[in-house]
Amino acid sequence: MSTYGTTRHHHSPAANYSNRDRVTDYHTTLFRRLTWDGTVPLEIRVDPKELPANSDRNLECYFVQAPRVSYLPLLMPEIRRFFMDLVFDETVAKDIKDDEWWFETAEGTLVKWHWPVGLIYDNHTISASLKPSTSRSSANVTPLRLILHLASPPNDKLLLSPSPDACKQAFMGQLKEADFIRWGSTKRMTGLRQQDQDGLWEGIKEHNFDDYWRVASKVTPTTAPTRAQSPAPPPSSASMVNRPPSADPGGPSERDGAYNVRSIPVRLYLPDGPVIQDLVPPMADDNTPRTLSHYLTDHIPLLFPAPPPAPPPSRTNLHPRPPPVPRPAYALVQGIVMPSETEMAWLGGCLAGADGWVNVCIGINSQHS
Amino acid sequence: MTDSADRSLPSWASPDTPETNEEALKALQTYRKKDGDKVIVRFKAVGNAPIMKQNFFKITSSNRFQAVIQFLRKELGYKGSESLHTYINLAFSPAPDDTVANLFKSFQTDNHLIVNYSTTAAWG
Repeated sequence: MSTYGTTRHHHSPAANYSNRDRVTDYHTTLFRRLTWDGTVPLEIRVDPKELPANSDRNLECYFVQAPRVSYLPLLMPEIRRFFMDLVFDETVAKDIKDDEWWFETAEGTLVKWHWPVGLIYDNHTISASLKPSTSRSSANVTPLRLILHLASPPNDKLLLSPSPDACKQAFMGQLKEADFIRWGSTKRMTGLRQQDQDGLWEGIKEHNFDDYWRVASKVTPTTAPTRAQSPAPPPSSASMVNRPPSADPGGPSERDGAYNVRSIPVRLYLPDGPVIQDLVPPMADDNTPRTLSHYLTDHIPLLFPAPPPAPPPSRTNLHPRPPPVPRPAYALVQGIVMPSETEMAWLGGCLAGADGWVNVCIGINSQHS
Repeated sequence: MTDSADRSLPSWASPDTPETNEEALKALQTYRKKDGDKVIVRFKAVGNAPIMKQNFFKITSSNRFQAVIQFLRKELGYKGSESLHTYINLAFSPAPDDTVANLFKSFQTDNHLIVNYSTTAAWG
């Protein structure tokens, strides 16, 4: 039973393969679990100008620790229950149409229905990084304060209805777009049975990690153990595209691995600024894995200038480091500041959102007195 | 700690001059600028969707996809709420706030962005 010559493992002996594969799977699963379990605090209050008469003002605020991978339309039932049942006066509540409700941040930024909660939060964090802070401590996690409006939603800017169905459509669209970015087609997504496709959204609705990943693992690449040696798949390998990854007896095939994708689905968010999306191949021009540093220098060099080379070694310093560069900005993924040597393919496999996308949010380092 | 001289200081410890933040803000201004660049969008009818006389259009790349949908509806003479579904490369519907620039960079073929349109939901 020779194990050499398969694409799954090039140099690891058969005896070690399953251990290493399990360790890699554990590593990937760990980060996916951490991402899934990530939550952010939301503090919701009705615009005081719109608070109906006779509302209980002692209960004006609804606090929720919301999953990063969830969506506001999915939180609406509990938000609605709180305000309708506890805050608003009964007779007034009857006439309130909750399909006209919409959210703004306390700073007046419109909140989009189709953005995952974690992205809404991180986008707010980086926007706040532009403003001078009084007592900002990076150890404190402050709730995102949202203003709930009860009428006149700016539909031309919201672009989507608040219904869970519209949200599901948008979610499925993002998964397919991510699939296309990775492989140049959506065959993996459309190859799923309808029941499975619906299962992805059900997993989000119920916030069930196992239900979601039971399906998602069929379409999301993992970081394979011997990635650096893996050959790139031939461009016309139709058989690779048509064969479902779950048909592989030992685990995900390396050809479907995170380092073999055409491009990683990633978007770059600048504070109060544009969203940048482009093709991001997993390997850089020198055939080393593309890092976050490469990616940021490529797209926003004014904020992430290329590091200067190290000075040549001398007798007194055999391993000189390059001089430190001032870092005016930092990059957040899932709310965590990412080291510059993080590999983009790894982010795609381990730290993407439930919609398949890696959202990199750029914040500006604060001045200090 | 013999290598302390080589170790970079974390950003909060380095002597930030006020200029560092100014430079960052200026950099953001540069990245916020919307140039008037246009890209070619090619509309392709699917199924029974009406065919247009002209299929290639130059569209300002900073536009959101929502603007492309509205443009298409106008060109087709659609009023009100008749349903029109749009897809990129016969594969997926983008988020309406994705910009044409981003979609072009990610999905262009032969230097144009293919937008398929149909009256019924084709690819979900």
